[in-house]
Amino acid sequence: MKFTPRQIKGNVNISPVSPVKDFFELVLRILGLILAAYILLGLAVDYIAPRVSIKTERKLGRLFSAGLKKGEPSGLEARLQRILDELLEKGRELPPFTYKVYVEGSKKINAFALPGGNIVVFSALLKKADSENELAMVLAHELGHFYHRDHLRGLGRGLIFLLISSVLFGGDSSANNLIHNALTSAQMSFSRSQERAADLYALDLLNKTYGGVAGAVDFFEKMSFKEKCWPVFYVFSSHPYPQSRVAALKEAIKIKGYPVGQKRPNIISEDAIQETKEKDI
Amino acid sequence: MLDLIFLVIMIGVGYFAGTRVEKKHYKSIEEREAKFIYLPAVSSKNLLEDRPIDSTLLVQGNAVIATDYFKVILAGLRNLLGGEVSAYESLLDRARREAVLRLKESAQGADIILNLRIETCQISTAGSTEALAYGTAVYYKK
Ligand SMILES: [Zn+2]
Repeated sequence: MKFTPRQIKGNVNISPVSPVKDFFELVLRILGLILAAYILLGLAVDYIAPRVSIKTERKLGRLFSAGLKKGEPSGLEARLQRILDELLEKGRELPPFTYKVYVEGSKKINAFALPGGNIVVFSALLKKADSENELAMVLAHELGHFYHRDHLRGLGRGLIFLLISSVLFGGDSSANNLIHNALTSAQMSFSRSQERAADLYALDLLNKTYGGVAGAVDFFEKMSFKEKCWPVFYVFSSHPYPQSRVAALKEAIKIKGYPVGQKRPNIISEDAIQETKEKDI
Repeated sequence: MLDLIFLVIMIGVGYFAGTRVEKKHYKSIEEREAKFIYLPAVSSKNLLEDRPIDSTLLVQGNAVIATDYFKVILAGLRNLLGGEVSAYESLLDRARREAVLRLKESAQGADIILNLRIETCQISTAGSTEALAYGTAVYYKK
């Protein structure tokens, strides 16, 4: 037998697919799957959230409060805690957490609640409040989120995102860190109806504690003025729609016939200015 | 967001650099395959012609081809859904053919290469592919 070498035409070992087309097709398919999973799991979260036990939420709380400072509360925090404790006495059927207030030095006017009973208030918010009632309203609003167990819902889906990304990219990937940071800085956004429900709860609690709703809308009124100045401001905030919230609160006050009552002076604001001068970032 | 931009840049650079290098390599492979067409390399263990042998020699060719970031991502995406990893096909093809070419280059003056074997392995977790071709070069009596 004589061997005659020849060159082989074409190449069967390489698939005749365009790698770019292949790439985009795969990306789209995977995004579709993630979207479907996100929607499905979101529905699951809505179902599960009200059924999560207090014990589990407490455990979650520890996970998300790890970044909060330990040790003795500052004078400012102790005063806020007194306001909160007063609210808690009247707070109906709140989940039995240990509720604690933390103050963080920040120029952002915001407050948020972490799962498990911790409330973080930014120092700029303390300076903005003119009466104790305003601060109580903000705290009561956060308690409203606890009462409706909103964060489980808000966090739940974030947590599921965290899970998906750990499966896809591994435990300590940059994507994972990104999501985790987003969650721990607690810029979770509640839906408009969740905010409204928390507002209504806060209004009721304020009325019970202070014998009236004086100061309830003051804070949001100030914020809605801000909104006119910088329309962008509230896009980035976790508590949007102050203008419509003011209107909704005023309407609720009228319908329920809450008494106005007395405003208490804000003894905190001067302290806040003093104390956060050094802390401000 | 910065991470995402960085990722897109890496994939883009990987794609354009990788495609360029691959095109050049295939051009060189085809040229050299045409040049070495006179030297057959077969998988047969036995002589194909009944001719007296002067000498034999173990010859080998070795090639390592690196992947690029675009291929890594493409293969990674494919790993999620299953199916053919076409991204790596050209890597293996190039490594294999380059190894055979180097084997032929090391068998200067031979008449045929018998018992050609090709082995492959992954050389690093980053995705470089190695192909080793070895065989017996046969020199006939002139
Ligand atoms: Zn809220």
